[in-house]
Amino acid sequence: MTQQLAIIVLVDVGNALASRTLDGNTYLFDNMKLHGSQNEGAGDLVTAVNGSYWSDGSQASEQVLNWLPYSLGSIPPTVPRGYQAARGREADRQALAELTALANRPAAISGEAEAALTRIQQSVGTRVRTTARTRALSGQQVLDVTGKVVADHSQGAHSYPTPIITDIFGEAVDEKVMYPAEYGSPDLVTDGWYWSATVDTSRPGTFSYTMRIQLHELLQRADEWTWEPVNLTCESKLCITMEPRRNGFTKAGMGYLPIVPGAFA
Amino acid sequence: MKPQVNIAVVVDVIGALSDKSLLNGNLCMMDDGTFDSTGQGTPELCTVVAPGQVVQWSALAVDLQTPVEIKSITFLGPGDGEDAGARGEDSGDGDHLDLNVWTGVVPPFMAPGVPHKYRLELQMYEGEHSVLRIDSPALMRL
Repeated sequence: MTQQLAIIVLVDVGNALASRTLDGNTYLFDNMKLHGSQNEGAGDLVTAVNGSYWSDGSQASEQVLNWLPYSLGSIPPTVPRGYQAARGREADRQALAELTALANRPAAISGEAEAALTRIQQSVGTRVRTTARTRALSGQQVLDVTGKVVADHSQGAHSYPTPIITDIFGEAVDEKVMYPAEYGSPDLVTDGWYWSATVDTSRPGTFSYTMRIQLHELLQRADEWTWEPVNLTCESKLCITMEPRRNGFTKAGMGYLPIVPGAFA
Repeated sequence: MKPQVNIAVVVDVIGALSDKSLLNGNLCMMDDGTFDSTGQGTPELCTVVAPGQVVQWSALAVDLQTPVEIKSITFLGPGDGEDAGARGEDSGDGDHLDLNVWTGVVPPFMAPGVPHKYRLELQMYEGEHSVLRIDSPALMRL
């Protein structure tokens, strides 16, 4: 099987944070349904890995797996990378324009000016404080899933950062059936990093593995909003099978190509 | 003389399924034979071979996460793409096509100097429109 596999890890971030577990809040999909993966779209996906071997018993194929974490209740990962910053800047520009208009207004009634200022404050939103652990997320406004700046964070209507896989471990790794690693990626949809693994298909059986996934929760600490990391784990399985290679023409060993003698004579 | 000639069939699976065609640049073929094959990089590849050489076909997807397998390779007769009777056996359901190794020995009785066209059928996932074919590539004995 030369096709690489993709495993989508879709997390209901809001509910996972509320219940502090990924059980029942994670939906796993892969592109191997045709080849026998089970429980697509559920939390207990079993990914089929079909290996093959040559007539002398040696391994004829290895499988490459790629994991992609997605978030339910977030701005789609397919929008351009600068989307968050661009939306934030747009909100700032609008607020500045409104402020200018307010300042230029002659002798505004005091109550009216105050109301206008409050409205402008709403549209600017608040920035999230910088912490060492969440530097990538800091200094930006909080947006909702439609890309609008959120002013009142206590309403919980904000978009969550994409979940991040921070480790893949467990039985399949301990047994040296699967060799996972994190790679840098030119594909910015996956945040420049992704987890990938090669599978030794010479060892049939069902092996479990665990993903450690980092979510981010918006919390108010000392009057400032911060994204706090929350680490949770979720388990999945690989089902490895192995069958002999065969000749496509003969279904057995190699022979002459099926050309009719003298067909062109 | 090389003991083996490899023929690579490179497919843009998404393009082919969208167009329902392996043409329009959705498929190209090339070989590593030492003789003067023609049509390298096109669906009209004519691979020049010698008797006794092993020929191996393999399908590669441009996008590594898309599925493509060779479903069958059938040598055509001298007529207008009519089946001469000799054919690679179809596998019924498209399952386990990945286990096939498409290799064969160039027979000594192959007529020289004439392109022997073959039908190449590719399976891309499953379903009604998942199998596409071309009749344009050929093998020619030196």
